[in-house]
Amino acid sequence: MKEKTEFLEREYKELEEKGYTWVIRDLLGPSDVHVNVEGKECIMLASNNYLNLANHPKLKEAAMKAIERYGAGAGSDWSIAGTMDIHQKLYRKIAEFKNTEDAVTFQTGFAVNAGVIPQLAGKGDILISDELNHGSIIDGVRLTKADRAIYSHSNMGELEKVLQDADKKNYRRAIILTDGVFSMDGDIAKMDEICKLAEEYGAMVYVDDAHGEGVLGDGHGIGREFDLEKKIDFQVGTFSKAFGSFGGMLAGSESLIKFAYNTARTWLLSAAFPPHVAAANIAALEVVEEEPERVKKLWDNTRYFKKEIESLGFDTGYSQTPIIPAIVGDSKKAKELAENLYKEGIFALAIVFPMVARDKARIRNQMNAGMTREDLDKILSAYEKLSTKLKLV
Amino acid sequence: MTSKIGFIVNPVAGMGGRVGLKGTDGVVKKAEELGARPVAPIKAEQAVKEFLSMHHEGDVKWFTCSGVMGEDELKKAGVKDIKIVYFLKSGEIGTTAEDTKKVCKKFLEENVDLVFFCGGDGTARDIFEVVKDKTPVLGIPSGVKMHSGVFGINTSASAKMLHEFVNKRLTIGDVEILDLDEEKYRKGEWNIRIFGVAKGIIEPTYVQVGKTVFKSVSDDEIKDELSEHIADEMNMHPDYLYIFGSGGTIDYIAKKIGVENTLLGIDAVYKKKLVGKDLNEEGLLRVLDKHPKAKVILSPIGAQGFILGRGNLQLSPRVIKRIGLDNIIVVSTPSKLISTPVIRVDTGDKQLDHEFAEKEYMMVVIGYKLSRVVRIQTNNF
Repeated sequence: MKEKTEFLEREYKELEEKGYTWVIRDLLGPSDVHVNVEGKECIMLASNNYLNLANHPKLKEAAMKAIERYGAGAGSDWSIAGTMDIHQKLYRKIAEFKNTEDAVTFQTGFAVNAGVIPQLAGKGDILISDELNHGSIIDGVRLTKADRAIYSHSNMGELEKVLQDADKKNYRRAIILTDGVFSMDGDIAKMDEICKLAEEYGAMVYVDDAHGEGVLGDGHGIGREFDLEKKIDFQVGTFSKAFGSFGGMLAGSESLIKFAYNTARTWLLSAAFPPHVAAANIAALEVVEEEPERVKKLWDNTRYFKKEIESLGFDTGYSQTPIIPAIVGDSKKAKELAENLYKEGIFALAIVFPMVARDKARIRNQMNAGMTREDLDKILSAYEKLSTKLKLV
Repeated sequence: MTSKIGFIVNPVAGMGGRVGLKGTDGVVKKAEELGARPVAPIKAEQAVKEFLSMHHEGDVKWFTCSGVMGEDELKKAGVKDIKIVYFLKSGEIGTTAEDTKKVCKKFLEENVDLVFFCGGDGTARDIFEVVKDKTPVLGIPSGVKMHSGVFGINTSASAKMLHEFVNKRLTIGDVEILDLDEEKYRKGEWNIRIFGVAKGIIEPTYVQVGKTVFKSVSDDEIKDELSEHIADEMNMHPDYLYIFGSGGTIDYIAKKIGVENTLLGIDAVYKKKLVGKDLNEEGLLRVLDKHPKAKVILSPIGAQGFILGRGNLQLSPRVIKRIGLDNIIVVSTPSKLISTPVIRVDTGDKQLDHEFAEKEYMMVVIGYKLSRVVRIQTNNF
């Protein structure tokens, strides 16, 4: 062997030189609209906590009660001895919420994609994927022996060409995989067209709605938004974003869930999430149903912020959701803007190359239902000030 | 204001292509013996005609060389106001490199605004040796090799660019002059040289940019994947003839599979055995007579993204029609697709180009069992 662990430091240094390394900031206290980032009070613009449920009293109370009743851990994999009645209650709640026959949870959304996709297709099948899909879909797809085809982002013409080509090649199965809401641009998948094409060519549809849940379809997600709950064969989601808690979910037919129980290795070979997580998740879905004003407020904030930041001259790209990018161009500018926003008491994330195209570096602004008009105006006035200072627009 | 255009034609450019020679520098006689006919004068005339149909002649003053190297083509196209800046000593073709340089010296003396030429990379190189970056250069592609960034993607595009240039709607920018060493090229050795940076007409959609060379480890890994993909494909369809196109990616794949491939030529493989090496159009047709079920493996050539019509003229319309559009396998490294987001086809056969255009997209293999949809662009724009 030529080397041992010295490569770790060397390769890290290389990343650092290129400016690709993450700076991890510590939050001192809960994730809320107003946060304490390493001692500095900030407005949070970088969390996925769209409905501001992460610190919601009902979720906290449910979790605490569950700890009292069930303890801190599940004690096993879900498959062996870790499934508690509270987990089962959550599955039923998800199925009802998503209007599907059945549902199951996974440790994370990533674990759903990495565990389920490889079981859905094999040799002689084709997986068809949007070029901007989340990394967990990409990894799940990589783990299969199926053929894989990529189409340009949301380009339905190209998708149809792939399906036509697949049709000629006589595949056994074809599955179209897409994010529901794309995380870098905040645009929505063209689900109606995707499902129509799928039906026409006999393909199945797999959607990861991580950024659409709690946001679209009165909070129920992309299925409800497009009235396609029964047409989407595989619905993936997460409790860690708008729902304010933790854990991945898979919803669909009874046979899908039975199949997943028995084949998805990420589900079978790692521990069940703790009972209090299940309790908080149930509470989250209840709050979304009981407090519809949250989703409404989220959209009010989204519309206001988008309109105002655009009027300052910022390009918001293709945003259709509470993910509102402010595209500034090159990576250096975006990083500089993020640092300056932090100085102004705004915690925002710069998204730079290679996550997005070289000339499309941006600040990703993520709205929160808990933000007041004052919060938004404070953010906007910081943008206004900095756009002049940094010559951004 | 009147634009002064220096116009020059390399009459032998492109003659070697269909008979399997990879250029005409020094081998014009051989090309003629093999049945090659001049193509550049026709393309040059066509380009000028198209330009005139778009443009009012009075705005342009033409400077050129006598006879076949410009004067004839301009006259045939209907240009009257021509100034001959250089007279050819003899009617013989084949000494054009020196003539080209002498003509260009005259162009500089005349202070032309643009050198508009018809030829290939070799012609571009000869012009560049004289004009350097003093005067912008625009080429009508008519050679066998056109890696340089001075060419429009076809005759019409070049005419359109000239029109836009005269109307000052296009800018002048840096373009690389690239060429292969023809001697080494004919021996199958890939030896691209950058001769310098010239001034070209910048039009992002049509202009060919210099061939981007990706030499990273990850690219080789991708090529390994592509090789595995093709090996699998060949195992799955053992009854097919496989025709390997030219270029670095295909060469890598062939070698990985264990086929002794001609880097810049077209080879045929049946049951993993080489059954035709460095084939010309006739050779390809013969091998297809014997093995009618065939697939051809192509890769976009250079930054231009051409899969047909550049550097592989042996894969003529007749050959491609025989193989069938559905039996074309296009492979590419993803890095190449970043600089060539469309793949281009210019077979020289309108009907065949139309068939490609109708497909709109092609599946391009970019990894093991991984493909992506890429738009096709033909010259029907």
